[in-house]
Amino acid sequence: MERHNRTWRVALLAPPLSVFAVFVIWPLFSSFYYSVTNWNGFGSNYSYVGLANFAKIFTDALFMNAAINTTIWMAAAIVVPTLLGLALALLLDRRIPGGRVFKTIFYLPICLSAVIVGQIWIWIYQPDWGLLNTVLSNLSGERIRYAWLAKPDTALGSVILAWSWQQTGLSMVIYLAGLTAIPEDLLEVCEIEGAKLWQRIVYVVLPLLTPSTVVVVALSVINSLKGFDILYIMTGGGPFNSSDTLAMHMYNESFRKYLMGYGSAISVVLFLIALAIIGLYFRQLRKVDRIYG
Amino acid sequence: MYSITRRSLMLAALTVSAAGIAGPGFAQSGEVSISHYFTGELGLKAFNEQVAKFEQATGLKMKESPVGHEDFKTDILVRAAGNSLPDVFSYWAGARVAFIVKSDSLRPIDDMWAKDKLDGVIAKPIADSATLYDGKRFLVPFNYHYAGMFYNRKVLADAGVTAMPESWDDFLALCKTLKEKGIAPVALGSKNRWPAQFWFDYLLLRTAGPEYRAKLMAGGASYDDAEVAAAMALWKDLLDQGYFVENANADDWTDAADKVARGDAAMTLMGTWITGYWNGIGLVPGEDYDFFAFPRIKDGIANAAVGPVDGLVISANAANPEGAEKFLSFMVSDTEVQAKWAEAQGALSANVNVDPATYNSVMQAAAKTVAEAEAFAFNYDLATPPPVAEVGLSMFTRFIDDPSKADAILKAVAADAKAAFNE
Repeated sequence: MERHNRTWRVALLAPPLSVFAVFVIWPLFSSFYYSVTNWNGFGSNYSYVGLANFAKIFTDALFMNAAINTTIWMAAAIVVPTLLGLALALLLDRRIPGGRVFKTIFYLPICLSAVIVGQIWIWIYQPDWGLLNTVLSNLSGERIRYAWLAKPDTALGSVILAWSWQQTGLSMVIYLAGLTAIPEDLLEVCEIEGAKLWQRIVYVVLPLLTPSTVVVVALSVINSLKGFDILYIMTGGGPFNSSDTLAMHMYNESFRKYLMGYGSAISVVLFLIALAIIGLYFRQLRKVDRIYG
Repeated sequence: MYSITRRSLMLAALTVSAAGIAGPGFAQSGEVSISHYFTGELGLKAFNEQVAKFEQATGLKMKESPVGHEDFKTDILVRAAGNSLPDVFSYWAGARVAFIVKSDSLRPIDDMWAKDKLDGVIAKPIADSATLYDGKRFLVPFNYHYAGMFYNRKVLADAGVTAMPESWDDFLALCKTLKEKGIAPVALGSKNRWPAQFWFDYLLLRTAGPEYRAKLMAGGASYDDAEVAAAMALWKDLLDQGYFVENANADDWTDAADKVARGDAAMTLMGTWITGYWNGIGLVPGEDYDFFAFPRIKDGIANAAVGPVDGLVISANAANPEGAEKFLSFMVSDTEVQAKWAEAQGALSANVNVDPATYNSVMQAAAKTVAEAEAFAFNYDLATPPPVAEVGLSMFTRFIDDPSKADAILKAVAADAKAAFNE
């Protein structure tokens, strides 16, 4: 019987595994292979260059720039939607008029594709007639025509804001679900015992929301690692590389400069970073599992 | 009992990937596979009509897969990597073709060129610059474009401008007049970087000449040379005077074209494809808009025209090379195909036998300008190898963002370009 089950298990797993092998494992090992060559993407006349591509990473100013931006991007992509989502969830987790409408509205952006979100925000940031500059001009009484996405100082931040706008709804919904699991009477006891609102939130609600936070942070990390499309649409890494992330830099080196070998080396580094983050995450997850079962 | 072993799994995976690699081998003998970037607004319908004429004339069948212009750049790479290039594909003449010729991915077409007497079909300056690589011919030009200063006729007439500028001083005077009337003289949409390149191309060609420029594009000169600095200084002067629209880096080339069409700006330096765009939104060539050639700056410098050439090439391991050659030859030689195609593209035909009367008045003038030019130069991103072009294109937008840093920018670019040439 046990043997029979195992056969079935393998049979059912085979189709997805073979797809996974062809589309994930095979390309993964291909990048490892090409990362030690000087392949240009065309033809088959390339040679083995050892670790030269990896050595180049250390002298590549654009790589450092992309690494810093990726760090900013990931930190912001984790912190901003999580905090905003939590704040919205706490606000909406009570009987307030129109609460359901607001929940729906805040959740809606997550249903849009990143390309559409990107385009909406391109219009909002448009210097001549965009919503943001129009509002700022009306408030200040001066004609403001700042090009948010075309200035190196604000390009990355502007994309992060658009990204957070989309992701906040997801965090909010997860926190709302988490809040329903917190027993009312527990909070009532706290109130009777004289705990103030902020004390109830900080010492009771937040610790009990830890499982939700783990999910929210995990999703934020995964989504931010994948967050190439919105950046590609909104700035394309520009102006002049000021909003490049590692994924964008890898794309530029591989597909715009045709340095497939060096691009592969960057992708290997990116893979190792992702691996480290996922490893850390699983360790944390086990800890949380032990505490909350 | 179903039993799936690790070995059979591997076998299945290998079969799937092998099928991808062996794909082109399955093509039938009467069939030619083609991949091209003429999609949507770039004329898919018109392209298919011309392909149908070829199929009717030869009995061969074209198996096509169009890919969007920007995606094409990566798609063709992926296909090359998988060793599954189509028999024929469209590509941009210049450094990009030189790049894949070096990788032995293309098939030379000298025999076909001689047999079909293409010397008598293709204009010599285009043939010389676009088809020859390392002494062999690899590409058939399908159409080409010319970059000129396209302007709104009404705006210039309202500003009292009657004669178009021929010298740099004329041009500066024109800009000054327009600026005083409260009109932005020059629109530019450099968000995607490449629209800025025509300024660099023409300023350098008109001050340092085509020979120096060719040297710079090939790595034989440096970006911190006095020649480059002089060209950039002219550009900086225009920016400092406020002759360009604000926030050029925030706009697309179509945004810039819209500004000129609306009359918010007077002119834009752009390729002839802008005529296709403007005609599409209801502007009338010769009435609503026209163009003038980039003004002369220095005496004794050969007058060059700038633009890209769209070409067709045959991959080295094409399954049906004879059919592919027939296709290339037919598409450039048949004057009816060429005329229809040029019209649909808003492009100029590479075939000298096409009757100029098939062009609208603006395109006729453009064709004449190119014919009278002493040299035809590819625009920047097609003139220099892709790794270097990336460096230069970013330089243009950085410079536009803060022209006061021109010297520092050129110094950094000189080092980066040198490194890129050594890749």
